[in-house]
Amino acid sequence: MALKFTFPSRFVSPLGFLGMITFVIFIILGVTGALLMLYYEPILDRAWDSVKNINDVIPYGFHLRNIHYHASNAMVMVALLHMYYQYFSGRYKIRNEILWVTGIILGVLTILEAFTGYDIIFSERAELAISIAASLTNSIPIMGPQMAQAFFGGGFHDFVLRFYAFHVFLLPIAMLGLMVVHFPRFLVFDIPMVMAISGAIMLTGGVFPVDMGLKFDPNVPPGITVPEWYLTGLYSFLRSAYDKFTTGVAWPGLFIFALLIVPFIDRYKKFSWKDRPIITAVGITSLAQIIVTTYWGFYIDPDRTKSLLERLVIDPVFLYLVMILLVPLSFGFTYMMIKLARNAEANAKVQPKKPSTKSSINLTEKWIYGIFIALLVFQVYLNIAAYYAVLNGMKNYSLFIIGIMMLVFAGMFHIFRHGKSMQKAPPPKPTLPPMPAKAKSPSLTKTGTPETPQITAGTKELENSVAKENTVAPSAKGSTPSASSGTSASTSSTSASSSVQSTTKTESTGTQSEQKIIADKKE
Amino acid sequence: MAQEPSPKSGGKVSRRDFIKLMAAAGTVMTFAVFADWGKFLPPPKQQSGERQKVELPDGSQANVKSFPVNHAEAVIFPKSTDPVLNKESFRTWQFIRLPEELGGKKNDVSSFRMYSMVCLHLWCLWKYWPQDGRKRGECPCHGSMYDPLTGKAFAGPASLQAPPSNVLPRLDLEISSDGNVWIKPPNWSPNGNGVVGFGRFLT
Repeated sequence: MALKFTFPSRFVSPLGFLGMITFVIFIILGVTGALLMLYYEPILDRAWDSVKNINDVIPYGFHLRNIHYHASNAMVMVALLHMYYQYFSGRYKIRNEILWVTGIILGVLTILEAFTGYDIIFSERAELAISIAASLTNSIPIMGPQMAQAFFGGGFHDFVLRFYAFHVFLLPIAMLGLMVVHFPRFLVFDIPMVMAISGAIMLTGGVFPVDMGLKFDPNVPPGITVPEWYLTGLYSFLRSAYDKFTTGVAWPGLFIFALLIVPFIDRYKKFSWKDRPIITAVGITSLAQIIVTTYWGFYIDPDRTKSLLERLVIDPVFLYLVMILLVPLSFGFTYMMIKLARNAEANAKVQPKKPSTKSSINLTEKWIYGIFIALLVFQVYLNIAAYYAVLNGMKNYSLFIIGIMMLVFAGMFHIFRHGKSMQKAPPPKPTLPPMPAKAKSPSLTKTGTPETPQITAGTKELENSVAKENTVAPSAKGSTPSASSGTSASTSSTSASSSVQSTTKTESTGTQSEQKIIADKKE
Repeated sequence: MAQEPSPKSGGKVSRRDFIKLMAAAGTVMTFAVFADWGKFLPPPKQQSGERQKVELPDGSQANVKSFPVNHAEAVIFPKSTDPVLNKESFRTWQFIRLPEELGGKKNDVSSFRMYSMVCLHLWCLWKYWPQDGRKRGECPCHGSMYDPLTGKAFAGPASLQAPPSNVLPRLDLEISSDGNVWIKPPNWSPNGNGVVGFGRFLT
């Protein structure tokens, strides 16, 4: 297998991974969702029972449901972070506007996907959410009632069936289509990162297993119910008891529209957030408002002696006053941050450059093997623990353990990569011109191993390196979009890289230079 | 660290191979846990150890005194609380009171038979035909015929199948003092009550 996993040298920040993580979570959601479809029944009076069956009876149904649920939350969160990172780093410029616009639409679809997902359980909360969504659609002037009928059908029976159709087919298909356009220039795919994310999702599922909610019963009025966290911001506006079209449709619509046109308003010629004060300030404002309203939507006065009206309704004057107050605060905060960043930059220029404090952990080969074997033993233990957890019906504990296993695998992969980079000559430098392998062998004999049959050893070395290139090549080399589908390295690149490798090998005779190259690669 | 890999001789594993081997072991150890997740796919079976009444399509329980001779009804077993599951063909059984010449007149359990309605050939649903000259189970798909006395296929494609796939699964019955017919808890194995869609060894 010749999988190519490229470490993103272009991305200075690990936040550059966020887009890839969103996509990976999308895949996880697709797989777990497809499996859940085997047992879920989108019928009004069977939906909740079928989910309960998955959760309680079907082996590993609990695991898959929890992974699906927590991955959906993670996807919304990671997509949001991805958007803000791209926003503050100005990456929607230089003809990347289409990526930004499709990204915003993808984000909206992601939230709709998550929303339809938690509605088709048809618990009490889902019933409220469906009713609110339908009533908001209904409130749109002129076309509203027709739209509500067209999208959601005539009643709960239609709602469940149609939300299911949206959730498992229409929205994902639309998202896949948009992803084709949204496809980034550099696909960054990093196995340890993927495994760590999967592990984190499983860990979360093990620690905070999602509950079932109460089955919706029209005869029992529901209690106070709050939507998922990505909708509480909107919910706080709805709770201000102002006109429902304005608060529930116009405000979020305006927010999405503002995001869509950002790249066409931002006329700054620079990328950094420090050089785009107004845009940065607007971003900080939106972030502050989102955080405040998200919390506000969750907050319900715990005083049960008060009436529900008093506890639930947010005074619109208070709410909008706070929203307006956040604008100057955020602008001031941005001004302060830019000032501080500028000062820090100036100080850094004035002061003499400190010697590089970048420390690298240098493990000897023995230690690498030792750690690897220790991790393997730990994996064996975790396997046994997970098995017994399942046998004893401790589902969330087994999910937790499997999450740890994923994380351990991520660590193992790191060590494997480190060990390989120590054994192997560093990857070819792209500046070196490719030379035919034959021409290089004489030079090898000059500086190669000072012992015994030099030419044979050299050629053998070369053969080995060629074979190595053919069989395992997780080396950082090139950046093809099909990072996970390659079957074998192309022959031309093999010969070129092997020759280059031999040259670098001749250069690095001592351990010192090799370590330096490894350190270079790490940066 | 920067040593050349030792030449492969004497069956020694080189360092490069060793770390690869460990990486493979780590991958196997990580994903081994997911092998058990395959249990998600087949639906879990629930088995009740209680006898169940022979509930006729009209909702009444079959009774020795009222059930006519040379007559058959479709009965659901095991009956689920979920009405959808009661539509499964694999839960459908033919409850037969044998014709007079086969001993159906006796008011005891020997005059009743209960066979799976799933034909052993290609899983169509057969039924019992009480007309004169037939008095046997017939499958509408490929014409397999079943002997109501034993459940053995005597003609058609099902009769050509090797045992146990030529004898229908059969449920054991018992009759309480008031004459009601009950189904005893089955043993789903070819040597016991048989496997629906697969067959039973005739003992």
